[in-house]
Formats: sequence, C-alpha cells, structure tokens
Amino acid sequence: MPEIPAGGSAMLWVVILFLGLSLLLYCLLAGADFGAGILEIFMGRDHRRTQREIIDRALGPVWEANHMWLILMVVILFMGFPLVYSKVSTYLHLPLTAMLMGIIARGCSFTFRHYDAVKGRSQRLYTLFFIYSSVWTPFWLGVVTGALVPGGVGLSRAGYLEGYVWPWLRPFPLALGAFTVSLFAFLAAVYLIGESREKIIRERFARRAYLSSAAAMVSGGLVFWAAQKDGVDLAARFMGSPASLACVAGATLIMPLIWLGLAREWGWASRVLAGAQVTLILAAWFAVQFPTLVKMADGHDLTFFNAHAPEATLDQLGIALLAGSALVLPSLFFLFSVFKSEGAGSGEQ
Amino acid sequence: MAVSLGFHIIFASIGMAMPFLMALSHYRWIRTGKTVYLDLTKAWSRGVAIFFATGAVSGTALSFELGLLWPRFMEHAGPIIGMPFSWEGTAFFLEAIAIGLFLYGWKRLSPWVHWSVGLAVGVTGVLSGIFVVCANSWMNNPAGFEWFDGNALHIDPVRAMFNPGWKTQTLHMTLAAFEATGFAVGGIHALLLLRRPGSALHREAFKIALLIGSLAALLQPLSGDRLAKGTAIRQPVKLAAMEAHFHTERGASLLIGGIPDVAGKRVRYGIRIPYALSFLARGDLHAEVKGMEEFPESDWPPVLVVHAAFQVMVGAGSALAALALAFLFFSARMPRLLLHRRFLIAAALATPLGFVALEAGWTVTEVGRQPWIIYGIMRTRDALTPMPGLVYPFLVFTTVYVFLAAVVAWLMVRHIRAADKEFPSASASAPDRPGGLHA
Ligand code: HDD
Ligand code: HEM
Ligand code: HEM
Repeated sequence: MPEIPAGGSAMLWVVILFLGLSLLLYCLLAGADFGAGILEIFMGRDHRRTQREIIDRALGPVWEANHMWLILMVVILFMGFPLVYSKVSTYLHLPLTAMLMGIIARGCSFTFRHYDAVKGRSQRLYTLFFIYSSVWTPFWLGVVTGALVPGGVGLSRAGYLEGYVWPWLRPFPLALGAFTVSLFAFLAAVYLIGESREKIIRERFARRAYLSSAAAMVSGGLVFWAAQKDGVDLAARFMGSPASLACVAGATLIMPLIWLGLAREWGWASRVLAGAQVTLILAAWFAVQFPTLVKMADGHDLTFFNAHAPEATLDQLGIALLAGSALVLPSLFFLFSVFKSEGAGSGEQ
Repeated sequence: MAVSLGFHIIFASIGMAMPFLMALSHYRWIRTGKTVYLDLTKAWSRGVAIFFATGAVSGTALSFELGLLWPRFMEHAGPIIGMPFSWEGTAFFLEAIAIGLFLYGWKRLSPWVHWSVGLAVGVTGVLSGIFVVCANSWMNNPAGFEWFDGNALHIDPVRAMFNPGWKTQTLHMTLAAFEATGFAVGGIHALLLLRRPGSALHREAFKIALLIGSLAALLQPLSGDRLAKGTAIRQPVKLAAMEAHFHTERGASLLIGGIPDVAGKRVRYGIRIPYALSFLARGDLHAEVKGMEEFPESDWPPVLVVHAAFQVMVGAGSALAALALAFLFFSARMPRLLLHRRFLIAAALATPLGFVALEAGWTVTEVGRQPWIIYGIMRTRDALTPMPGLVYPFLVFTTVYVFLAAVVAWLMVRHIRAADKEFPSASASAPDRPGGLHA
C-alpha cells in the first residue's frame, strides 16, 4: 500500500474531493440516463410508446447537464494529474475510443430522435442506435476503470498486444463492464418509476428494477470471480479496510430495503436508497483503491500524491472548481427543481 | 485530430452565435407580440438543439482525443494551460443547464426568465469559446513557465492563460463565429425567400441573421489586422509563410495570390502592392519585415498551404465585408433593395463563405505553427502517441464525423421543409397578426 504523506496541500484534497464527486454524480445521473436506454431494449410491445415518452420526457431537459460530470472528470485529470491522463489515454486508447464512439452515437441518436422534424422510418434507426449505444458506452466505461487495477498498464514488454490490448482484454475489466451496465439499468428503473402516472407502467418499471438488481448481483459476483482469475484478491482487499468493509455491508443491507420500497411504491425514498447503494459501492471501491490511481506494469504506480500537478496549478484548479460549483450547483438545482418537482409534465411546445 | 477540430469548430461556432440570433427574435416577440417572431424563435431553437447536442458530443470526444493523440503534449501542457479548460468546463456546464431550461421551459418559465436563459446559452457559449481559444493562443505564444531540459518549471497558470496573444485571438475567433453563422443562416433564408417571396418568417430571419453577420464582418478585418501585427512580432516565420515572403525587406510589398516556389525561394504570378506588407505588419511603410530566409528550413511551415489558406480567409472576409456594407447601407437608406432578387442571390451565394474563412483561418494558425505544437518549445512529432497503427483510429473518427456531418445536413433540410409547412408565417405573405403572449 503506497504511503499517504502527511499534510499535503489543502487544494489537493479539494481536487481529489471533486474528482470523486464528479465520478459519483456521473454514475448517479448520467448512469441513469444510460440505464433508461438499456431498459428500452427490454420494453414489451404493449405500452412501448408511453414508456418511451416517459423516458424522453425524463431525460430531455437534463441529459446534457448530466453528462458534464464526465467532462469535469477529464478536465480534473488533465490539469491536476496530467501523468495519469496521458498514461491512461495512451495505453487504454482502444477501449477509450470505443467508449467515445458510444458517446457520440448515443448523444446524437437521442437528440435526433427527438428533434428530427419528420417522424418517419428514421425513428427506428435512431432508437436502434440509442438503445445499443446505451449498453455499449457504460460497458466500455467499466472496462476502462477495470483495466486500471489488475496487472497494470505500461509497456513492460514491448509489443502491440501486450501494451495496448491485454491490459483491458481480460476477465476483470470485462466483468466490471457487465456490472456497470446492469447497475445503471437498475438505477434507471428505480428512478423512472416515479416519472409515470399510470399504475401499469409503474409496475413495469418496478419489475425491471427487480430484474436488473438481480443482474447486478450476478455480475457483481462475476467481478469477484474474474478478479480472482486475474490474480487480484478483491474479497480480501475489501475486507482489509474497515471503511470499505462498512460500505460493502451497507450496500448489501440496503438491498432488501429497496425491494421493500419497490413493493410498497415508496417513490422518492426508493430513489434515494438506490442512489445510496451506488454511492456505497463506489465509496468501497475508492477506499480500497486510495490513493492509487493507475497501477503501472513497472510497479511505479501513479497515486494522488506522486502524480499531481505543481502547487500553483492545483491552486488554480481548486479555485476554478470551488468558484465554478458556486455557479453551477445553484443553476443545476434550479434546473432539477423546474423539471423534476412532483408531478412534472412536459413543458415543451 | 484536425478533422475532429474542423468538425467541432463549426458546431461550436453555431453554438456561440445562434442563441444570440434566437434571443433577438425572442426579444422582438415579447416586445411586439407578432407571431412571426415566435415562430422564428421556435424554428431556430430546434436547430440549436440539434447543433448543441452534436457540438457537445464532438467536444466530449475532443477532450479525450487530445490525450489519445498527443499524450506527451497534454502531460506537459496540462498543468500549464489546464486553467482555461477548467473554466471552459464550468461554462459548458452552465450552458448545458441553460439549454435544458430554454428548450423545455416554454410553459414553465415566465417570458423574461425564459428569454434570459436563452441569452445565457449564448453568453456561456461565447465564454467557453474564449477559454478554449486562450489555450490555443498559448500554443502560439507560450508563456507562464520556464522550459528546462524537457521539463516545465515555475509554472504560472494565470500568466499562461493570459498569454500575449489571448486578447487578439479570442476576439478574432468570437467575431468569426458571429460572422460565419450570421451569413450562413442569412444565406439559407435568402434562398428560401427567393423561392417564396413574401414569407414573413424568412424575411425577418434574413434581416436578423445578416444584421449580426454584417456587424461582425466589418469588425473582422480590423481584428485580423491586430492579430497579424502580433504574429509579425511573436511568430515571424508564420507571418512570412502566410505572405510567402522569402526575403527580408524594408518597405515590403503585400502579395495577393501567387504560387510560392519553395525550392527557388520565390513566388510566381500574384499581385504586389508596394509597401503594404510593412504597413500591415508593423504600421510603418518602411519597416523591415523578416523573410523565411532568416530561419532554418527545418523550422519552416508548409508555405504553400499557409499562404493559400491565408488568401482564402482574407478573400472570403473581404467579400463578406463588401456584402455587409451593402446590407447596412440598404437597411438604413433603401430598405426595398434588401429584398431585391440580386441582393438575395448574392446573400445566398455567400452562405458557405464565413465557414470557409473560419476553416482557412484555423489552417493558417495551425499549419503555420508547424513544425511546433508549442511554438519554439515542443515539436509536433515529439508529442505524438507512441501507439502504432494510428491510421485506424484516425479512419474511424474521420468516417464517424463525415457521416455525422451528412446526417446533420440532412436533418437541417428536413427541419427547414417542416418549418415551412408548420408555421403559417413561413409560407405565404401572412399578415403579421398580433398574437399576444399566450397566443
Ligand atoms: C485548442 C486547440 C486547437 C484548435 C482550436 C485547433 N487545433 Fe489544429 N492542432 C491542435 C490544436 C488545435 C494540436 C492538437 O495541438 C495540433 C497538433 C499538432 C499541432 O501543432 O497542434 C494541431 C495541429 C493541426 C494541424 C497540423 C497537422 C498535423 O500535424 O496533424 C492542422 C492541419 C490543424 N491542426 C488544423 C486545424 C483546423 C482545421 C482547426 C479548426 C478548424 C484547428 N486545427 C483548430
Ligand atoms: C482543443 C479543443 C477543444 C476541446 C477539447 C473542446 C471541448 C469541448 C467539449 C468537451 C464540449 C462539450 C460541452 C458542452 O456540451 O457544451 C465542447 C463544446 C463546445 N465547444 Fe469546444 N472544444 C475545443 C475546441 C473548441 C473551439 C476552438 C471552440 C470555439 C471557439 C469551442 C467552443 C465550444 C462551444 C461554444 C461549445 C458548446 C457546444 C455548442 O454550443 O454547440 N471548442 N467543446
Ligand atoms: C479580412 C481580413 C482578415 C484578416 C486580415 C485575418 C487575419 C488573420 C490572421 C493573421 C490569422 C492568424 C493568426 C495567428 O495565428 O497568429 C487569422 C486566423 C484566423 N482567422 Fe482570420 N483574418 C481575416 C478574416 C477572417 C474571417 C472573415 C474569418 C471567419 C469568419 C476568420 C477566421 C479566422 C480564424 C478562425 C482564425 C484562426 C483562429 C485564431 O487565430 O483566432 N478570419 N486571421
């Protein structure tokens, strides 16, 4: 375990906090956006229109803003931890490119579906792109995250495959990709229940929520198994730190509560519980990883403390983040309060 | 990379300027209550939505692509020039929030709040454009650090962001966005007016778009001149390449057109205007202007490309400035000529000119800086990713962008056709019915 140096500049902690926060909010908000697309795949023929309209209405006003958290993460890495940004983008070039293709396809097809002036046959094509890129993109997001852990990246052995392919084409990253997909679908299902007024639709989404939570548990198990195959004793690592143990325990204990909430139609409480669960999973992950950012094949892992930018830069970044959030958070709050207050219908003309 | 940027920059420019056009029309609607302005605001806002989403995803792709292609550049540049990017992030965020509120807020926000969020989309769009161009300007005018043995020391992000070129370059870029968008939109509505004379919607759209484009077009040559003066001092070899100016001279003449013969260090054909180059670059008819010969050939940018691109930019800029003068003169003195067939044809022909100038301008800046990625500090080839087989991701990205550009163009055609049918004010010579706020 790498050393955590005492002291450290205050701004470094601000920057780390914002990095964690953006990842969390990206998963909670954009993750649910992706999930809504995933759920569309499993929509039965009946009520398909209503369900799709609900999804359109729920995402329309907020999806652009939700995806900003990813950009914020990139900016923080680029300015605050440039070495991490450059190593990750060099060695994970291929999965990142795959993810980008998904981001492009998804954002465009969602908007085109909504704004194409002629609602004709092209709609089916947009939907096709939208739903499959909604699976594709989070899958690669999981793969990229997973590739940072087991064997490490970096050119220990020369060669294209060793350098650029094997670090991510292995059980653990792939399993993490599958887990991410099912987790996002689960989030979306729970969030969407509250967006519909008709009981039958709410029941549909609730059923999806049960199914996807089961899928998340299965793929979560798969992650542990795959980690074992990749030579990472994930279970031991989770048990090793009290913080992560507490988070894992919390996430597990919330599960029955969520099921209860779904059965009793708790509305907002269910959403909060599902969000809390994802938060705990991420927190547990953060606790075992900290302070490592990227495992390098040569053993010189990049951490928050050895890969950060010089003090002057961190100060400016911290100021930008603090001042920026003073502007962004109230506006974001306004956005959500306009569109996500109880019983919000569409305000578009 | 150049393909992605070339693509992104079109969407970004429209994202910067279009909300202002929309806000102007929206303002007139709230003030006059004429439905034509309401229709126009709505028709434009749908276009904005499509362009915004495409601009946003292409921008997201860019923020990764910079790292995918130039990891070594980003590793060093991040701590120095990350600051404008972090502010850019904030501006984008606000813009994305504002656009959500605007597009879906018609019924939920009071008219003036709604109008203000629309304007906020434009303001934050322009701010993000300014921030990112600060970063580009730093690549041209590196400042705020000391380069020592391949490492940056004494980093000062504030000085890097406000490098010597930032004011002129951001001004020029912002004007370019307004000019290119104004004339492109105005040109399309001119074309539609030719087909359907008397359409109130297209007439008002044409006037608003050309008004904004024209104001920018008249200021643009002035700002370009300021920019060139900075280039003459800080990047003399780029200026020399723009002018295909091989030999150092006093009282240098300005070259228009011509084909540079790099090996022979001379230019064939072309028109020379005596003393003009010295005046433009230095503000003095007899000033000395350094020629390419002063610099080692290994530091020369591709002269032919830079010179040609510069001619294209200035040529297109001059044509648009002439059109702008005509527009403003007609508006003030002979409003009837504004809708004259010949003028509409001229405006329709000018549709792509602004964007041609904009792309040419970026070619001048970017190709003119070669072989450097950070002028005088780091060479482009040293910044490239070590990953082999780069041609494949390049092909993939290029295909995707070309495909997207085609789809967006197709969507716009459909959108214009549909708006023509949907809004009564678009089709015939509908009278400007006063409609009140809740019509
Ligand atoms: C903020 C940054 C930025 C912006 C706004 C632009 N570029 Fe750029 N461009 C770069 C940042 C950059 C870069 C990544 O930093 C490169 C790579 C090598 C270099 O010198 O700068 C570059 C290089 C570069 C090259 C050199 C060719 C090469 O070595 O690959 C060309 C032809 C262009 N660009 C073209 C464009 C065009 C057509 C643009 C817009 C329309 C544009 N650039 C905007
Ligand atoms: C290195 C180059 C660039 C990067 C990394 C970059 C990054 C981004 C990102 C991440 C977005 C999406 C954010 C959103 O949804 O609003 C975006 C959009 C945008 N970019 Fe860029 N950008 C670059 C170049 C430029 C340039 C040169 C300009 C303009 C002068 C520009 C202006 C904009 C604008 C105005 C938007 C908002 C989208 C819209 O309104 O259509 N960008 N860019
Ligand atoms: C007619 C007079 C014009 C002059 C004298 C002029 C001058 C210049 C110069 C000298 C540069 C290179 C700056 C540098 O790299 O240091 C430049 C870049 C550029 N020009 Fe122009 N320009 C003119 C018109 C236009 C027009 C009409 C547009 C677009 C509508 C335009 C868009 C651009 C862009 C986008 C760049 C690159 C971005 C930048 O450096 O900010 N220019 N221009």
